[in-house]
Amino acid sequence: MISYTRYERARIIGARALQISMGAPVLVRTGRIDPLEIALEEFEKGLIPITVKRHFGEREVVVA
Amino acid sequence: MYYKLKLADKVRVPANRLGEDLRVVLLDVLQEQLEGSIDKEIGIFIVVTDIDEIGEGEIIPGDGAVYYDVTFEALALRIALQEIIEGIVVETTGFGAFVSLGPIDAMLHVSQISDDYINHDEKNSRLVCQQTNRTIGVGDVVRARIVSLSLNEREPRESKIGLTMRQAGLGTAQWLEDDHNKEIGQRSVDARS
Repeated sequence: MISYTRYERARIIGARALQISMGAPVLVRTGRIDPLEIALEEFEKGLIPITVKRHFGEREVVVA
Repeated sequence: MYYKLKLADKVRVPANRLGEDLRVVLLDVLQEQLEGSIDKEIGIFIVVTDIDEIGEGEIIPGDGAVYYDVTFEALALRIALQEIIEGIVVETTGFGAFVSLGPIDAMLHVSQISDDYINHDEKNSRLVCQQTNRTIGVGDVVRARIVSLSLNEREPRESKIGLTMRQAGLGTAQWLEDDHNKEIGQRSVDARS
């Protein structure tokens, strides 16, 4: 398994936090209220249903 | 003419509907967006019937929604100039009759109904040809040709469609039947003589 770069991490958590703030269902049982904190918790538990595609010119690699 | 279409588009699924069945949400969004709308190339959308394929979702920076590539089936009415259509008269006025083509109404001007002079019989909501006494009223089925077409994509209700019936083979169902009977009668007279 390749790990995410810090930019990918920021993009995933940011996108997920925005989704949650806009009313997307939360995937973790939590007492937190701040969408960003919920997104971080989901990320730590590996629950976020988002994949990253890295582009190398024509080549495309999915980071899993 | 009515067309059954297979279309591909990017569809925005808002974040608050992400937990639901994707197929249902996509159908809802497409129906909300397209039904009743007009596209000059495609025509007037009547219904989005089914979702065929759902591609990968994409998250765009700055928007919490997910954009899916979707192919779907839809039914549309595409009206062409010179097309012969059948419709039902829904309203008569002093300047002509409005004919419903289904999702949209078209205008049949008095000058385009017949070579006759035409009076408007307001009480019975019908138009009367002065010489031949033929009538055209609300509820009549008419066959006409499209002669002008101005579709407004922004305001579908502002679209204007013009019709004519001043050609052979065009008119209300009653007129056509009368003409047909007359022709048959004429033919039998000819055969006898």
